[in-house]
Amino acid sequence: MKHHYWEPPIALYLFLGGLAGGILFLSAIFNSFVIPGYGEIFAMPVLISLVCVAIGCVFLIIDLGQPGVFWRVWTTATSIIKWGATFLVIAAVFALLYLLAYLDQAWPIFAPLSQLLLPAADFFLIVAGFFGLCIMMYTGIMLSTLKAHAFWATPALPVLFTISAISTGCAAVVLSIGGWPAQITLESLLAAALVLEILHIVDIVLVIAELIVLLTMVLSFAGAGNVTAKKAAMRWVKGSYALLFWVGMVFIGLLVPLMMYIGGGHSAASTVVAPILVLCGGCLLRFMVVNTDDRADIPGEIRYYNRVLSSNGQEFTTKWEYGKNLF
Amino acid sequence: MTRYVMVIDQRRCIGCHSCTVACRVWNKLPLDIIYNPVVSEGVQGTWPNVHRNWTPLLCMHCENPECVPCCPSGASQQDDDGTVWVDPKKCLSCKVCVNACPYGMRDASHMENRMHRFVRKCTFCRDKRQLDPDAQPYCVETCHQKARIFGDLDDPNSEVSKLIGSVKTDRIFTEFGTEPQIYYIPCLGGQA
Repeated sequence: MKHHYWEPPIALYLFLGGLAGGILFLSAIFNSFVIPGYGEIFAMPVLISLVCVAIGCVFLIIDLGQPGVFWRVWTTATSIIKWGATFLVIAAVFALLYLLAYLDQAWPIFAPLSQLLLPAADFFLIVAGFFGLCIMMYTGIMLSTLKAHAFWATPALPVLFTISAISTGCAAVVLSIGGWPAQITLESLLAAALVLEILHIVDIVLVIAELIVLLTMVLSFAGAGNVTAKKAAMRWVKGSYALLFWVGMVFIGLLVPLMMYIGGGHSAASTVVAPILVLCGGCLLRFMVVNTDDRADIPGEIRYYNRVLSSNGQEFTTKWEYGKNLF
Repeated sequence: MTRYVMVIDQRRCIGCHSCTVACRVWNKLPLDIIYNPVVSEGVQGTWPNVHRNWTPLLCMHCENPECVPCCPSGASQQDDDGTVWVDPKKCLSCKVCVNACPYGMRDASHMENRMHRFVRKCTFCRDKRQLDPDAQPYCVETCHQKARIFGDLDDPNSEVSKLIGSVKTDRIFTEFGTEPQIYYIPCLGGQA
């Protein structure tokens, strides 16, 4: 293994894309089926999802070697990356239309536009929610199609990423529901409170499910994976990632929020701290998974690259500039 | 039809790295890009019964490449003669093909202009063969031990098809279903 081909921007993008998808999906479900008629309380969560998509796209583009021509991603039919980019754009456009439909509550200058869009607002959110679900699944499926990496090429990864994305989306909705630009009436306040109560239970279920899938995936790799996957999983279980995995992800990212949700009632621990911890855990999960890009080694390969990239070699290669060879 | 393959006779390879050097010089590669490393696990066995094997690597020019269908911009492509190559004019450097390759034989250089990088890989010296269809890749031409043998597998009279038909050959990581087209004649050790 020479180095990580995908760097932190990609991990952040996977987190932010999943988070945005989770927010849109949950908002669409609640607005369409659970408590219809209080669309304005989801304006702030949708705004946050838009910001996440925007930041995620910026990270995605700056990670490219040629950021100026990112539109080339749409030039073939088969690539899975193209589908991810398409889902992102469609979800973002419909989320923006939904947000515009409620923007007049904060800025009356948008009133004509909002009144035009308001009748279709629920439809916009359903479309955005559907493509949000697609984004969540895509982030995991994209990694799991790369079968060269044993730790990624497992059906558990899309499941884990999707559950984690809904769980982080749930946390973000809890933190932001009913905020600006919604004009809070007594009815919408009650609706938001009802949503919060339901999300409280939903997130408990999701955190437990995430814990189960995460432990199943990592521990089954550590016990029964092939050589490469086992080596990667052992790094998580008792190697260099063990502290981050057990303390950071499992304890602080999942178990502590779970205890706060169950025992915290309506305290700040349950309504503010636990969602923030869930968000941090989700972000850490993406970073750890993206960095676990172990490929099966060709015998002798590691030895070769360790020599080329030794301290002497490193100094030699970094002092050389492209285009200045003298041959 | 033409199907270019390479046979690598590990019994002949002495680990001189000439192919690596020839490739880097002729293809004008940045320093952090190596198309054809010659790797070894070191000396094996216990004195005096020791041996050492060299494995010259390069892009496997797979029959079912992992790196071509995943490319979103169509830069990563395969010719009818089996050559897998990247068009720098189309490449985005999203590095999905780099992650898809089970052999780690692709990368984008970190030493180039940050705004103009593209994924590089061995092309069986496609540009050279376009000028002269009978030309051999630089690594093959430079190999004084004739350990690298390049040719058309679909031509029954070519050296590669005779070798592949008559000698037991190995391929790397066939379990991925990529049908790699670099055939290794293994050195079983014990031959000084």
